[in-house]
Amino acid sequence: MNVVAILGALFALLLMRVPVAFALGGLGLTLLILGGFSPLMAPQAILSTLDGFILLAVPLFLLMSNVLLKGGVGRDLFAAVHAWVGHWPGGLAVATILSCGIFAAISGSSVATAATIGTVAIPEMIKRGYEKTFVYGLLAAGGTLGILIPPSIPMIVYGFITEESVIALFLAGIGPGLVLIALFVVFSIVRSILGGQAVEAPATWRERLVTSLRALPSILLAVLVVAGIYSGAFTPTEAAAVGFAASLVITLALGTLTWSGFKEAAFEAMATTAAILLIVAGAKVFGKAITLYRIPQDISAFITGNIDTPLMFILVVSVVLLIMGLVFEALSMVLIMTPVLLPAAMILGFDPIWFGIFMVVMVECALITPPVGLNLYVIQAVARARMGEVAEGVAPFLALMLTVVAALYILPDLALYIPFKL
Amino acid sequence: MAVFDTLIRALAWAGAALFALAGAMLFYEVVARYFFNAPTIWAAELSQLALIWGTLVAMPWCLAARRHIAVDALAVLLPDGLRRGTEAAAMLAVAAFAAIVTWYGGDIFADSFVRGRTTGSMLDLPTWLAELPVPLGFALLFVQALVETRRALAGDYAARGGGHE
Repeated sequence: MNVVAILGALFALLLMRVPVAFALGGLGLTLLILGGFSPLMAPQAILSTLDGFILLAVPLFLLMSNVLLKGGVGRDLFAAVHAWVGHWPGGLAVATILSCGIFAAISGSSVATAATIGTVAIPEMIKRGYEKTFVYGLLAAGGTLGILIPPSIPMIVYGFITEESVIALFLAGIGPGLVLIALFVVFSIVRSILGGQAVEAPATWRERLVTSLRALPSILLAVLVVAGIYSGAFTPTEAAAVGFAASLVITLALGTLTWSGFKEAAFEAMATTAAILLIVAGAKVFGKAITLYRIPQDISAFITGNIDTPLMFILVVSVVLLIMGLVFEALSMVLIMTPVLLPAAMILGFDPIWFGIFMVVMVECALITPPVGLNLYVIQAVARARMGEVAEGVAPFLALMLTVVAALYILPDLALYIPFKL
Repeated sequence: MAVFDTLIRALAWAGAALFALAGAMLFYEVVARYFFNAPTIWAAELSQLALIWGTLVAMPWCLAARRHIAVDALAVLLPDGLRRGTEAAAMLAVAAFAAIVTWYGGDIFADSFVRGRTTGSMLDLPTWLAELPVPLGFALLFVQALVETRRALAGDYAARGGGHE
């Protein structure tokens, strides 16, 4: 009864368009007061969230990718990758996906990835006669690589609320990320061959050399961030700080970063950070309250009482997340559903790191399912496209992502090999 | 009103500057540790303070600019009159939440301030330094939410600060 009433109230607040952060925080606070618990827990939970060292990585990773975005690194990266693979069938599409994959290793946000590469790749692909719906779907889906390949803001948040290792999560995202890139690449090639897309002439070696040299610092930066975290030289937060500093050095050296560009980058990073961290803080208040009401325990007892196989659990959770993804934005889903689902998942024998990666891939689907999906908005804005066109193009990529979910279920080592067995 | 808008916007810029500053301090920390073998005692703690202050003082501007993440799916389908009503009610809900957090956040701050509690870390800063921005930020959020309620009733609920995330 409690469960239904609380979730009902939450959805009512959210659908009224109360910002997610305050809907979660406000409902949590109301529950604390109604239950006779101290309301002091609300400001305490907000403070303890913002006092988390790992969450400092959020503004710093955003600063890094925004600086690179303003510094036009997307263009350089795309030009370099294109020089190498442009002559393949569907070469431009392949270059787009690979650029998204590389940018994902410098950016923790799928929106930044879709925007950075989309701005360059969409006009180019349409000029060369690629079908519009395919182009939009490719970019919306390619952008989601941003949160699967480390660094990743949803993984930082997942690690923070579950107290799991963010480093292990980052490393666990690499395997599924590479598989997803491979699937997108193969799909692009097959589709371009079947669609009779004209093949381009290969770039000259000189072109390859020149463009690669220009893109090299950004690629080295991606390697530095991932290798630094992997080797234990930096914590994720420090890696973000080093990345931010390096992004300034790179864009200043290339002469592409202006003072006003830097100010815009910093302001954008601030707006996104405040929005994200306040949702985390609100979720912390809510999480505290529902734990005192024993809601997660009730739900996990209900789930384990009615669902006895792990496969059934994952199927049900996937359907629930896909439906939620129609209206919810990615991070809110992670924050609302993880505390509710993880206890049951662990009883059924799922590894919490594996479950985090599963959540991230499902959330990627949410990012590209209409009517609400941040990446859809980005592509719409960048390409000035109609939502219908973007949504149509996204369908095959959604199928590929769900294939990865199935592969993850059958072969958990796809995620867990790199962090735990390598 | 114009003065308040300017103040809120200035605080958002202060938030942006604080985050950039946090990045600079932590970068200095890494350099100091690896190249000079002399880790600082202040970088981690001060950058954490920058995160707390930056987020909370930027919060009211995010509400004004509609930059907080919200679920639009239903709201956009409502007829204008009803939408004004729900938007106003949503903003009043934010105001109520902000008022209560301001009150109890103020208690936490006042308690630490009066007792002169400190963090017990290397810097041993007063604890209230980290606690003050909660009542401060939420008090400003309270005022901003009331401003937004009035704007919503007047039919003005579009984004004012540019796009989403």
